[in-house]
Amino acid sequence: MTGKCNADEARAELRGWVLSTAPGLAEDKLTDTTPLLEARLITSLHVPELLLLIERLRGRPIDLSALSAGDLKDLATICARFLE
Amino acid sequence: MTQISDSAAWQSIGLGWQPSGQAVLSGALLELADRLDRCFVAMAGAWGAREFRFPAFVSAAELHRLDYFRSFPHLVTFPVCLDPDEPNLERFTGEPVTGGAVALTAIEPVREVLTPAACYHIYIHEQGRVFERAQHYTTRNTCFRRERYYAPLRRQWGFTMREIVCVGTLDEVKQFLATCRGQVEALLAATGVPVAWTAATDPFFQPARSAQYLAQRVNPTKTEAVFGDDLAIASVNLHQDHFGHTFDLSRDGAPSFSGCVAFGIERWLHAIVATHGFNPARWPSLARAAAPADQVASP
Repeated sequence: MTGKCNADEARAELRGWVLSTAPGLAEDKLTDTTPLLEARLITSLHVPELLLLIERLRGRPIDLSALSAGDLKDLATICARFLE
Repeated sequence: MTQISDSAAWQSIGLGWQPSGQAVLSGALLELADRLDRCFVAMAGAWGAREFRFPAFVSAAELHRLDYFRSFPHLVTFPVCLDPDEPNLERFTGEPVTGGAVALTAIEPVREVLTPAACYHIYIHEQGRVFERAQHYTTRNTCFRRERYYAPLRRQWGFTMREIVCVGTLDEVKQFLATCRGQVEALLAATGVPVAWTAATDPFFQPARSAQYLAQRVNPTKTEAVFGDDLAIASVNLHQDHFGHTFDLSRDGAPSFSGCVAFGIERWLHAIVATHGFNPARWPSLARAAAPADQVASP
């Protein structure tokens, strides 16, 4: 996929990516407000890949200097912060 | 506020300075450093922490497992030895120093690093262990970090770091760090040193390319007690399972979590003198803070 996709598609792709990083996680345990880093569904090593995915989904780069605490807290926060 | 440029006053309380970025302590300032360290040891004692005294060098191969050299190449200092081959040593003795710098000939492979942070030794020393309960440690070491500039007590190539470490479950480590922060705040109150607690990141090389830096930005795991504009005198750090995973520290079949509280002793000296002035009689005695404390209740 290239360029900006719609919010539902983006959310679905993000969700699929998180599930792929946490293979032991049951799909129904991943809600929009499940903490990603805090619950160790993703680790620090996944962060660059997640940022690249978000950039692809939104169709434009993320200003890394503007990243702040909580920006990648959960799927709802990521969508609100970067994709809507 | 006292300025570090008052060099005669600093000398009078026992500070010497080497332009290489290293301090010499004596007299009242050295006594204050020892009192402070006794306070940190008392804090560790409340956790039943086991004290270690590690050597000055740490294995480069072990640090590489942490990706240290890619994360902090700008900070690292290596101990270097000449290749012992006699002709090589003879070449060296011909003109060993030129222009004030050692003229190295062939050197031996570098396999060690001057300790960059006191607590690394603990995870390396304990590697492979299977824990049944939370473990607490404390250690102090001279740490070395190459910097672009140095300032006495505030930013040194070689400085003294005391750390208190917990290895346990995530909940145990979080509780440890929260309680330790309270202990540090109580000590700060006893010293009269004002600080602001702020989220911080480690000084990664090319941070925009560092996964760990980006993770620290969005999920802060490091909080610093900052004196004045920018002097971090203590930090509270959650490592997640980074060390547990790398060094096979485990609990209940999974990598252990860890966290540490770190103190830069020379920076505390600066903060106390800057707050109370050059008369040692006005410095806090810290007698109560240095006394053995009651054990912190384990979860």
